[in-house]
Amino acid sequence: MLEPALADRHFDAIVVGSGATGSAFAAKLTAAGKSVLILEAGPDRTREQLVSSTLWARRLKWNGAPVLEAGANPVGHSFNAGFGVGGASLHHYAVWPRFHVEDFEMSARYGVGLDWPIRYADLRPYYDEVQQEAGISGDATAEAWRPDGAAYPMGPVPLFEQGRIIARGFERLGKKVAPLPLAITSTAYRGRPPCTWDGWCDAGCPIGALANPLTVYLPDALSRGAVLVTDTPVTRIVASADGTRASGVLVKGADGSDVELTADVVVLAAFAVQNPRLLLASRSAAHPDGLGNNSGNVGKYIMSHSAALVYGIFDEETHYYRGAFGGQLVNQDCYPKNTHAEDGAFGSYQWMIANAVKPNDLLGVATTRADLFGDELHEFMRRAARGFASMTGVVEGLPSASNAVTLSDEPDEHGVPLAQVTHSHDERTTALWNAALADGKRIFEAAGASEVWTGPQGAMHIMGGTIMGSNSGNSVTNEYGQLHDVRNVVIAGPGLFPTSAGVNPTFTAIALAARSARHIAQNWRDVARG
Amino acid sequence: MSLSRRQFLRQGGVGLLAFTVGGCTQEMTPQEARRRGAALQVLSETEVAGLERLGETLLPGSAERGLAQYIDHQLAANPEDSMLMIKYLGVPRPFAPFYSGGLAAASVAAMQLYDTELAKLTDEQSNALAGRIASGELDDWQGPPSPFFYFVLRADAVDVVYGGERGFADLGIPYAAHIAPPSRWGE
Repeated sequence: MLEPALADRHFDAIVVGSGATGSAFAAKLTAAGKSVLILEAGPDRTREQLVSSTLWARRLKWNGAPVLEAGANPVGHSFNAGFGVGGASLHHYAVWPRFHVEDFEMSARYGVGLDWPIRYADLRPYYDEVQQEAGISGDATAEAWRPDGAAYPMGPVPLFEQGRIIARGFERLGKKVAPLPLAITSTAYRGRPPCTWDGWCDAGCPIGALANPLTVYLPDALSRGAVLVTDTPVTRIVASADGTRASGVLVKGADGSDVELTADVVVLAAFAVQNPRLLLASRSAAHPDGLGNNSGNVGKYIMSHSAALVYGIFDEETHYYRGAFGGQLVNQDCYPKNTHAEDGAFGSYQWMIANAVKPNDLLGVATTRADLFGDELHEFMRRAARGFASMTGVVEGLPSASNAVTLSDEPDEHGVPLAQVTHSHDERTTALWNAALADGKRIFEAAGASEVWTGPQGAMHIMGGTIMGSNSGNSVTNEYGQLHDVRNVVIAGPGLFPTSAGVNPTFTAIALAARSARHIAQNWRDVARG
Repeated sequence: MSLSRRQFLRQGGVGLLAFTVGGCTQEMTPQEARRRGAALQVLSETEVAGLERLGETLLPGSAERGLAQYIDHQLAANPEDSMLMIKYLGVPRPFAPFYSGGLAAASVAAMQLYDTELAKLTDEQSNALAGRIASGELDDWQGPPSPFFYFVLRADAVDVVYGGERGFADLGIPYAAHIAPPSRWGE
């Protein structure tokens, strides 16, 4: 909780959110000698709380102000977001592939989607830096699709029965597989033990094998003097009278009163929905439509990946519960954007192959056949216990200005309007998702599955909403995440992405944060001036 | 002979929760809470009877494992500490109206279709009703969308039967906890 004395202290930077990018930002700024206050809306988390249970894991999910969802394809905020120290990355699966060169140049190359204000080459050094700090296990050479970059600091994750069996299908169809790049230790690494591959990633990793904020970045930031305050939601960003800079934030004190905390720089790292919500709610005379929203772009271009879920039962024992939740192998043969153009599809997807799952929960075995009940369900569970296997396609969602975070008329307990997220997939995305499912079924059949089925078009990851761009007319921030309108407010996280790519977002979000933090630290005086 | 902690958890399905029996709060499994008649906190006796009838239909054995006691316990807890899957399915807190509304709608459907209370449906009737709830075929359904209610209740039943060490053992797969579920939580 907030100590009253903090209100009297001025920080160099306030970081809102203690998840993947907030922690990385705090670590980088403290390394540059800056004083940092990290404000976390949710409770403290420790490794000792990370109980190996799918039921317990639900406590790590979103618990803050309700998020209203609309549209044909809701983003599944309560499932995808986190709450408390570590944020969503405390329960993330640590699949850390890089975005491809073309993901940054979608409009220029294909006339579809948006362009980033940076190119892959601009981000590459930060991918390399972050993968060394956080530790990624993989085989860069085997990833034939991977853009240029340093080799992984750890060797690949082990291959278990499920992975070997599914790989057979890829090989029989002339497709490649490579070890899945995971921010999980395959060997002892920088004081962290190797993973034991028990498949409890979703419940949070208590042994420090998975690179979540309790293991990397946040401890560094705290050891260098960063102050972490939990259970303290930010209700507003406070702007100067002329609106050119932010002076700090308003939070709720323990007694419910408003407390102003001041800093030279405010970093918003509260994920893709709460960041725009906070900006939109921070209206003032100089920013009547919300902070940083003079061009009306705040909240727009919310994106999600479609999960292409493919399941099968094999006659062999798969040991589906072993390995990492994210999987064992990767395939990106269908990354070229027009691979399935004949189906009306556009975009990229990758396969995360051989996910470790548990019998229950939303992604568990039982849910894959939600149509079964009664004795049939028991019989299925027993059959699946021996030979169940799965893989998940990460299907690119396209940016659309109509997919947006807006404010509802309903306030939360502190009077801040709730966020409403409206999201529907482009027809080309749904066509791509269908093509991926057909592809996946063929692969499982080729691998020898006796039963093959697929899941619904679930939402996976949330991106966009505060996108970066070349100017204030087409985006919310510049290439470093600074609001075009208020340069000492900096956005961190996947909300910055103008396009979603066909891979998992966390690695790219942290690499962006590392790049941004370096720029801000090196240009502190200019940034702080606003 | 005393049971080891691991053995006890294996017997306990989802683990130990705090229930009140005879005015005293004690830790016990939902299964034990049911057997010992622990006091309900949110659901009514009628709702529990209907819930168990539906639960048995969706996953036989779930009532005996304490499905109703587990849900009742979770509904009484702080929503922030809830372990129900509904927590991340986009349903506004509190969650009790979702369950009460669904059970009330199922009770009405049972009366309309079979002129029988939900809890007293035969296996055949309950199976047919569950199928219609799952497919959304009940025109007069007045509650949360019936396929969604089916999905959530089925998931709860799976949690109780297969979501803990005992359920894993029943399937012959290792639980392999880094940190086993503790005996006290959510208080």
